[in-house]
Amino acid sequence: MKLSDTMRSKQGRRDLRNGLLFASPWLIHLAVLIAYPILSSFYYSLCNYDTLRPPRFIGLENYRILFTEDPLFYASLWNTFYMVVIGLPVGLFLSLGIALLMNQKLSGMAFYRTLYYLPSICPVVATSILWLWLLNPEMGLVNTMLGQIGVQGPGWLVAPEWAKPALILMGLWGAGGGMVIYLAALQDVPQQLYEAASLDGAGKIAQFRHVTLPMLSPVILFNLIMGLIGTFQYFTQAYVISRGSGGPQDSTLFYALHLFNVAFLDFRMGYACAMAWVLFLITLAASLAVFRSSARWVYYAGESR
Amino acid sequence: MKRRSIASQWIGHVTLLALGLFFVLPFYWLVTTSLKSDTEVFAVPPVWVPKDLLWGNFVKAVNYIPFFTFLKNTLIICGFSVLGAVTSSSLVAYSFSRIRWPGRDALFLVLLATMMLPGQVTLIPVFGIFRALGWIDTFLPLTAPHFLGSAFYIFMLRQFFMTIPMELSDAVRIDGGGEWDIFSRVILPLSRPALATVGLFTFIGSWNDFGGPLLYLNDERKATLSLGLQQFVSQHGAEWSLLMAASTLMTIPIIILFFFAQRTFIQGIAVSGIKG
Amino acid sequence: MAAAFALAGCADETLPPGAVEIRYWTGWTGDELNAQKRLVDEFNRSHPRIRVRVLSVAGSYQKVRIGFAGGATPDVVSAVWADELAGYAARGVLRPLDPYLARSGRSIEEYVPGVSRMLQFKGRPYALAVTTNTNFILFNKKIFREVGLDPERPPRTLEELDAAAAACTQRNPDGSFVRYGYRPTGLMQWAYVFGGQWYDAASGEVTANHPANVQALDWMASYAAKYDVTRMQNFEATFGSNATPNGPFFVGKVAMWQTGEWARAHLTRHAPNLEYGWFPFPIPPGGRPSTSGAGGSVFVIPVASRHPDEAWEFLDWLTKPYAVAEFCESITNLPPLTELGKSRRFRDVPLMRFALDLAAGQNVFGPPGMPVWPRYVQEIRRVEDYAIFGRKPAQGLLDDMDFRVERDLVRTLREVE
Repeated sequence: MKLSDTMRSKQGRRDLRNGLLFASPWLIHLAVLIAYPILSSFYYSLCNYDTLRPPRFIGLENYRILFTEDPLFYASLWNTFYMVVIGLPVGLFLSLGIALLMNQKLSGMAFYRTLYYLPSICPVVATSILWLWLLNPEMGLVNTMLGQIGVQGPGWLVAPEWAKPALILMGLWGAGGGMVIYLAALQDVPQQLYEAASLDGAGKIAQFRHVTLPMLSPVILFNLIMGLIGTFQYFTQAYVISRGSGGPQDSTLFYALHLFNVAFLDFRMGYACAMAWVLFLITLAASLAVFRSSARWVYYAGESR
Repeated sequence: MKRRSIASQWIGHVTLLALGLFFVLPFYWLVTTSLKSDTEVFAVPPVWVPKDLLWGNFVKAVNYIPFFTFLKNTLIICGFSVLGAVTSSSLVAYSFSRIRWPGRDALFLVLLATMMLPGQVTLIPVFGIFRALGWIDTFLPLTAPHFLGSAFYIFMLRQFFMTIPMELSDAVRIDGGGEWDIFSRVILPLSRPALATVGLFTFIGSWNDFGGPLLYLNDERKATLSLGLQQFVSQHGAEWSLLMAASTLMTIPIIILFFFAQRTFIQGIAVSGIKG
Repeated sequence: MAAAFALAGCADETLPPGAVEIRYWTGWTGDELNAQKRLVDEFNRSHPRIRVRVLSVAGSYQKVRIGFAGGATPDVVSAVWADELAGYAARGVLRPLDPYLARSGRSIEEYVPGVSRMLQFKGRPYALAVTTNTNFILFNKKIFREVGLDPERPPRTLEELDAAAAACTQRNPDGSFVRYGYRPTGLMQWAYVFGGQWYDAASGEVTANHPANVQALDWMASYAAKYDVTRMQNFEATFGSNATPNGPFFVGKVAMWQTGEWARAHLTRHAPNLEYGWFPFPIPPGGRPSTSGAGGSVFVIPVASRHPDEAWEFLDWLTKPYAVAEFCESITNLPPLTELGKSRRFRDVPLMRFALDLAAGQNVFGPPGMPVWPRYVQEIRRVEDYAIFGRKPAQGLLDDMDFRVERDLVRTLREVE
């Protein structure tokens, strides 16, 4: 008993040493380039800070103004939640669906993969400009094609009630990005698992439920968490399309865009930092909720022992 | 492996092609618009095949900036970033997925949390650090951080590493191998598709990055393509053919790169085949 | 590896011994940037002791703001918008230019009154300018003739403008536009035309809900209601760029175009045969005749500049008549210096003559010198957007904005003091 304890602690020390050694690049990153800026931003959030002169401590004043005096805070929060609750799941399902279609043993797969993937690697600024043109209410390809099947297309990005759906549609074009991650994981699913399942009499759907999904679950978790973080900080597309205004009628004023305007148009970096920390807490809460639930639906082969 | 029936092959192809239209049409529109005259751009009904291919739009975009200098700068930045991201992120991800050490999971949460704060609010302190290091107006603020691992790729690789059965590590341990042997002989070869993905994403990220170079480079001779083309774009408001030409230009090298990376993806499939 | 980068970083162009390097950041790109670079080269050749290095920051707020904040401050900046000037000046990061001007025997009064006001904060000059702009309305004479309007007597009153706009508008049987006469935009400007104001500098009061501002917004909303703003917007989606022959005014989709003198370059290039005229903003009873705006980017010297004297030597040279004239001429802009406005060189074209006189007039309104102006401008655009879609009545929108901007201003002034 005693001996095994010593061995365990010896192994423990070695694991700690190796763990820290392998993680050291990022630990340096954290210490040198991350910790100080993040702590600074928290301090600024308690200050009057215009970036031009030293910050002056004002306690929770920025947070009070944020919650009680800023109608655009709530408008931007609503717009952002809309993207998280509607845009994100739609994108996740589409990219998973494509990956599954893609994973069939069909000829010409490389061709399809390229086809689906390419849009997601176009520069975001270029993509946004392209879609601004495609979604032009009169001259755009989308409404032209809708017109040919007898549908009067909406105003898309110039209509307040259609601007967010338009951005979601635009985001779907980049679904290939999530797809490759799913695809790489699908290709790592050992073939013999399917063979074993089909020997047990599992049909296609059962195989999907009991083999594919569990094996994919770590990657689904990854895409979900990254999607959450990314969507809460949704910025570039809205900035390009509304030229920073968040219009029409605040319908594309997302949280990060409002934050950007506050920080760099208004000289209110302290307030922007307060906004950032509120967003941080929201994102953290959402991610923790997902992680909590993930114990029930994520399966790690590497932890099977 | 069972042979699929002809019918299901067909259904697969038809579905993929139909869905493919959504992905390929905007792309087609991007490239053809870039070759159109302004009159064709605004024609009703839209012109599907431009009558004359106006390469002049590309010439304009290329001549607007010292294209090849900017291309060289961009490629240097991208190259080092990829090298840095792939090596450092895989090391760190290994630690977070295959070694059990106290504090690991808490630190992993910290890693995730660092991604949740919008970058705009840390710009000023980060800038201050790079200035103190004397790195302003060099490529270092754009490349060096990649050598210290970035949260997104660490997370991504961790998820991949965790799907590799532990038994493979144990086999190496039984042969007397240490963590480094497991990492280099088992994990890395098995993760080639994931590593290729990290490399590709890093390349694209650096290639498209506009804010970083804008902030840290003060000398026009060090500027990158995204900076140059951004200027071009801001100069040509609603001239769709020129905007599309610039966008196409930014995209083509990435497509070329993707075709190279695809090889590695396929290699990766072969490796997993052996594993299975 | 790091060494390789460092080497790649500091290539060629050694500074002559004893010379001072001036870092100059500009927001201009393209043709404007090239015109600036030609002038900088000329300055460098004639001033061996100073070497100016230009960097285009493409109008990025972040870059300039962090340039000021991060201590890597440039010596001369022309990427500051006139809208932001008061914000920077109030926070004490800009050098007041009166001592420098005096030393060079110059005065801010060299500028036309509207521009001169715009360059000052609390009575001191903090910036200089090399161009100015105006705005007014161009009209298509052929269309005027066709619909029975007198092409030699463009609208002078608001009533006449409304009537002309209605007369020129043409629709398809389904109600969609073939052409519209006019659509007013820019509440900020129109409020001044109506006799309103946004800020009372004397009392320090925000006056967003000035009765004339409300009238102006009501009037703008009346167009949106009368012509169906959604249809107008969809029609506008078919407009080509004004930098091409497909510009809506050039092809007759719009009979009256609210624009400025910069339109001339486009008209000459893309619509050489178009018969057009121009008129200043028509006024309602009690309105301000010949109202125009002033704005754009301005030149400043940051307090943190390490070589302010050399920076001034460069700025002085760049803002004197010779360089201003060269610059304005090469990019078809209006010179802001009174002296140049009188010179033949810029007065030979009738449209430019009209624009110069407009810019030199008394009813030119630039940013009103309040530190929260950029946000105020955004709010004004937002209110306009809501009002023309008939979402909320003008009075309520402006009352609400008045309250919020006033509160922000008070708070900001307290912070700045």
